[in-house]
Amino acid sequence: MLLSELTASSRRLALVGLAKNTGKTVALTTLIAELAASGRRVGVTSVGRDGEERDAIDSRIEKPLVRLAAGTIVATTDELLRASAIASELLERTGVRTPLGEVVIARLRGGGTIEVAGPSVAAEVGEVGEAMLAHGAEQVLIDGAVDRRAAASPAVSDGLVMATGAVLSDDIEEVVALTRDAVALLRLPTVSAQAPAGIRMRELAGSPGDERRSVLFDIDGGEPVELPPRFVLSAPPGEVSSLLAANPSATTLLVAGALPEAFLRDLALSTRRSGRELTVVVADPTHVFLSERAPSHYLRQGVRIETLDAIDLLALTVNPVAPQSHALDSARLRGLLEGAIPSLEIFDLMDPGYRDSQRGPGPVRAPADG
Amino acid sequence: MPPREVDLSAVRPYADRLDDGLVQMSFTLPVPYSLAARRAALELAGRMGFEEPEVVHYEELTPGYTYFVMYGRCAATVDFGAMQGEGFDIEYLTEEEIERFAAEHIGRKIVVVGASTGSDTHSVGIDAMLNLKGYHGHHGLEGYRAFTTYNLGSQVPNSMLVAKAIEVKADVILVSQTVTQQNLHVQNLTELVEILEAEGRRREIILACGGPRVTNELAKELGYDAGFSKGTYPHHLATFIVRELAARVPVGG
Repeated sequence: MLLSELTASSRRLALVGLAKNTGKTVALTTLIAELAASGRRVGVTSVGRDGEERDAIDSRIEKPLVRLAAGTIVATTDELLRASAIASELLERTGVRTPLGEVVIARLRGGGTIEVAGPSVAAEVGEVGEAMLAHGAEQVLIDGAVDRRAAASPAVSDGLVMATGAVLSDDIEEVVALTRDAVALLRLPTVSAQAPAGIRMRELAGSPGDERRSVLFDIDGGEPVELPPRFVLSAPPGEVSSLLAANPSATTLLVAGALPEAFLRDLALSTRRSGRELTVVVADPTHVFLSERAPSHYLRQGVRIETLDAIDLLALTVNPVAPQSHALDSARLRGLLEGAIPSLEIFDLMDPGYRDSQRGPGPVRAPADG
Repeated sequence: MPPREVDLSAVRPYADRLDDGLVQMSFTLPVPYSLAARRAALELAGRMGFEEPEVVHYEELTPGYTYFVMYGRCAATVDFGAMQGEGFDIEYLTEEEIERFAAEHIGRKIVVVGASTGSDTHSVGIDAMLNLKGYHGHHGLEGYRAFTTYNLGSQVPNSMLVAKAIEVKADVILVSQTVTQQNLHVQNLTELVEILEAEGRRREIILACGGPRVTNELAKELGYDAGFSKGTYPHHLATFIVRELAARVPVGG
């Protein structure tokens, strides 16, 4: 199956990488080429920048060009649109300001290569995605940036393609382990929407930022306890265990904003010592910040992380090459990932095996057309 | 002044007259000071694409090394017209102008929280931008009437930085990070953005990053509102902040 077929039902599809140079842009250009071949009208935006000639940090790395077909709707800055020299019809000025200029939405009259730089703020990405659908795009592709996950939030996109690759480590087992943990984070279990915790969390998520307070409560009734402002972000270690000790019957913690690993670590220390179990609920997986341990580690210590809304992870793409560094064996990497991650489609879009399976034109390779 | 109009679609260096393409360059070769070294420099300049390369000065730097000053004619051109308007082509305000602009358009103290985040132990950049002492005779934002500043120092975890910014109702978060080709540094910068997003605060806070390799292109990619690199003075940053805030907040809003 082609990546575009697998992801066709997602009106707003996000592409997110685990790091720079994991192949997000190749996934984007592959989707664009496949969708163009099947005659679908797409909208394209980027949380970062796409189609630039060279990497912004390591100028030795050439990036894939982004070639869009006539009729494509694009969100990029007015300067980049002009610099592309592609004839276009301006549909909307968004008022979104970026370091590279104001974001506009345009319909291309001709085809060509273009640098795409849309809004970076998640809420604005969501709005621009909706606007492109309203302007007639059948599917909107939202390319992420670096390792930014905000575009994967269910508030912004309906489905996700994640990119991983050899750039994570020169040790294939390490690449597999890091990818498996990242997938586990995206697939955190969801809290039942009808349960008291789910209902309360829905209210919390919908309230204005200023008024959001994390809440500790007891599933079997009992008065919920509002945590002090910014407690989850900045509580000193001792205070986390004091909080739990003061609320012995609390079973659930609803986290209004971000859940940093430092807090989770303190929480897990307390639950393990006291032999308690605690469920921590966040709005969606993009609110959880883990860089040291996987969710399963905290589960073993008595902390279960749940989310209000799930992310629909549709596929994983693999770049077996770390630019300017090393390459791993694509088939072996995919095989190990398939073994470690249940029921997820895994693609190496640059592999001859994938390209042969295509009926349409091949993905745009870097540099396109030489 | 150049005697004729500049063709912005084909810009090249000039020294004596417009479009002469003359470039002065200097470099060192790890070879002994000799006529052979001079020939090597000429050939190298030719391979760099310079026409009519000329060595105007060369000397022994230290035994085994020769330093050259050369001229060469550059035939290549760039289309400047295609680049104009990218990024913030700001005309910087002076300190007095910034104070006046802020009083007129913002009308309250602008709160700036700065830190070197994560594992970065360098606080020099943040100190130069924020502290009264400032940098090269330009004092930092602390010395302006328009700003209230909080300098949290170095190695500040992102979650702590965000907590402080929320606590003091910051208008601006300024982080300094030495970006290298290691993903770690970049990921520390993106994590800050993502925590602000998760806290629902990204839209209301102006987020700027600074560091030796931080360009506006990189800032955009990382999800920041602006990037500041070498050569930035506090009044450059202040100009950006007051203009950006004024553009976001309608007068009286």
